[in-house]
Amino acid sequence: MTDQHRLRDMLLLPNRRQIISAMAALGAAAAISPRSALAQKRITITEGDFAPLPIAIPNFVAGTPADGEVGVGVTQVIANNLRRSGLFAPIDQAAYIEKAINVDIAPNFQNWKTINAQALVTGRMTRQGDGRLKAEFRLWDVNTAQQLAGQQYFTSPESWRRIAHIISDQIYERLTGEKGYFDSRVVFVDETGPKERRVKRLALMDQDGANVRYLTRGSDLVLTPRFSPSSQEITYMEFGQGDPRVYLFNIETGQREIVGNFPGMSFAPRFSPDGQRVIMSLQQGSNSNLFVMDLRSKTTTRLTDTPAIDTSPSYAPDGSRLCFESDRGGKPQIYVMAATGGPAQRISFGEGSYSTPVWSPRGDYIAFTKQGGGQFAIGIMKTDGSGERILTAGYHNEGPTFAPNGRVVMFFREPGGNSGPSLFTVDVSGRNEQRVPTPGFASDPAWSPLLS
Amino acid sequence: MKFKVDKTVLASVALHVVVLGAVLLSFSTRALEVRPEESVGVDISLESQVAAGMKTGKKEEKKPLVEKVAEAKPVDDAVGKISEKQPVVTDTAPAPQPKAEEKAVEKKPDPPKVAEKPKEEPKPEEKKPEPAVDPIAEAIKKEQKKPTPPKPPVQAAKPPEQQKPKERVFDQSKIAALIDKRDPARQAATGETLNSNASLGMSKGRAGDNSATWGSMFRRQVENCWKKPYGGIEQERPEVAFNIRLKKDGTLEAMPAPDGTPSTPYGRAYSESALRAIIQCQPYNLPAQFFDEWKSFTPVFQERPI
Repeated sequence: MTDQHRLRDMLLLPNRRQIISAMAALGAAAAISPRSALAQKRITITEGDFAPLPIAIPNFVAGTPADGEVGVGVTQVIANNLRRSGLFAPIDQAAYIEKAINVDIAPNFQNWKTINAQALVTGRMTRQGDGRLKAEFRLWDVNTAQQLAGQQYFTSPESWRRIAHIISDQIYERLTGEKGYFDSRVVFVDETGPKERRVKRLALMDQDGANVRYLTRGSDLVLTPRFSPSSQEITYMEFGQGDPRVYLFNIETGQREIVGNFPGMSFAPRFSPDGQRVIMSLQQGSNSNLFVMDLRSKTTTRLTDTPAIDTSPSYAPDGSRLCFESDRGGKPQIYVMAATGGPAQRISFGEGSYSTPVWSPRGDYIAFTKQGGGQFAIGIMKTDGSGERILTAGYHNEGPTFAPNGRVVMFFREPGGNSGPSLFTVDVSGRNEQRVPTPGFASDPAWSPLLS
Repeated sequence: MKFKVDKTVLASVALHVVVLGAVLLSFSTRALEVRPEESVGVDISLESQVAAGMKTGKKEEKKPLVEKVAEAKPVDDAVGKISEKQPVVTDTAPAPQPKAEEKAVEKKPDPPKVAEKPKEEPKPEEKKPEPAVDPIAEAIKKEQKKPTPPKPPVQAAKPPEQQKPKERVFDQSKIAALIDKRDPARQAATGETLNSNASLGMSKGRAGDNSATWGSMFRRQVENCWKKPYGGIEQERPEVAFNIRLKKDGTLEAMPAPDGTPSTPYGRAYSESALRAIIQCQPYNLPAQFFDEWKSFTPVFQERPI
């Protein structure tokens, strides 16, 4: 260092040296700080298992001696729901070290760790003085010894199954982070009798196949029932004396009415997301176009006008767009357009033909039936047509419908021969195909929104 | 005795002489020219500076050998030095060597500096005789003397010949230094605190990063336990980190602390599934020799892009 430098230092004149050393100090600080942050080594883990979660559901204890049966019933419904979802593996009750758990105190978690349970459900059913049924449950994380959820419900004793579905939804939602779908129903076409004289009745059941109710007597042929998102109504197509017509049916009252009075066939009806309108196909000569009818004002609006068959319309959950099937390009393909009509954009471009598109309530996918290569497949694609994924394929699969949370697709499968169709569910990932129990043959399922 | 000289023999000898003579004259040795190479500055860094460890050290020793407490070295000022130094112009060097070489020289460990600098001025400024006494400069100097960081003694390790001739005084306190057979010009190992035990090195150094080894072992074990929810994978790509502390036996010392709170229900379920996996998989079987590294770390659970 020269005298000049020193002099300048003394007089506090910033010189290059100072600036540089200051910058060096800053640089050193900048260089050091991330290193000290990295002192904690980060180990990245990506390859988890999509295995179902082991869960223990001991029988709900009885609040009064008479409640033992319903406690066991609720437990079985919950275990069945969770198992069928494919995301949970209820542990066999025979393995439990403790059989009955007091719902009021924290359980002994070691007993559940021993049998490798990761979650534990405890509960109690109690008949109240006023005749109602009280259901209490708690969901525990065995490893962290934390309560994840806890709830109590009052209901009429006949509705114990619904309580079990609601508790199942709570468990599902808390452990997967997605809304459940167990507290929902399915309307479908029940088929009985020999193949040449098949009786088709509208039927309603819980999503797990319980509580089947028949809505029509089977004198007329019914097809494509659809749930209203907002009321206890369904819309469907019925072959009466003349042309097939679109009907509205009130589940509570059993009342039914024709939607509109159009010349020719009306078919493929579906509600709008707000439940105020019904969109459908109307026949015009050898072609058909899409129309929407406002249920209150009864005004009908034309949405497409093409010399082709436009059918199977389905709204996006926000009601802004709709997807439908059209053969305007030759073979049937899926198109998307604004809910008010206008230009439509083709989104399906794979081999074969695409039909019965249905928009997921979650908004992310459109499910479809795909025909080609001698097979009928059920698949999903993103709403822009990308990411097509076949969930199942075979001799005949048709009519997809989404669960209220958009995670599961139900459809019907015809095995061929003298047998009849039955209902199946499959996860949108393509995993976990399950048969839905029905009293007889069943087709054309439509999943309801969540009841609660 | 008389014998006849064969002419052919004569001719042969003469021819040989002519040929050999021609060969001797025409094949001359060419001078072997060695083109002088440009000198390249080489940074010599001792192993002790890199990993702060010695091969002869003990494994158990956690701290590196420290012979003297480190002192802050003055910041090297590349710009300032340029004015002090004349660029060296040699015959072989076509043009004055640009900065790069100088910098390389500057960065050298201190001993070489001593050898190079005397050209201009003996390095320790304090010894420099002052030609004229400037009162201001004097005052400045007095002020300056204190803050000027004293050069580490290593630098003063000049060729021993300079010091020895003075006088030989027996100093008992320096017996240790006398029996020290190590190179007097070596670089003393410095650190925050003195430590006379040599060690193999510290786990903090780059050479001691074995996280690839134990990290993959941890990953394999925890992945076996991790049952992740496959709810919203297509919508969200969650990432959740935990700060975990492990005991020597591979069990958790405390409940893992999540790094941040997930904002969505799926994120929460994802985070909880990871937490369950960490807890369920203990005790972890990890190499004991790297315990210092894995006693506290951050596993990050995330979804790969599809």
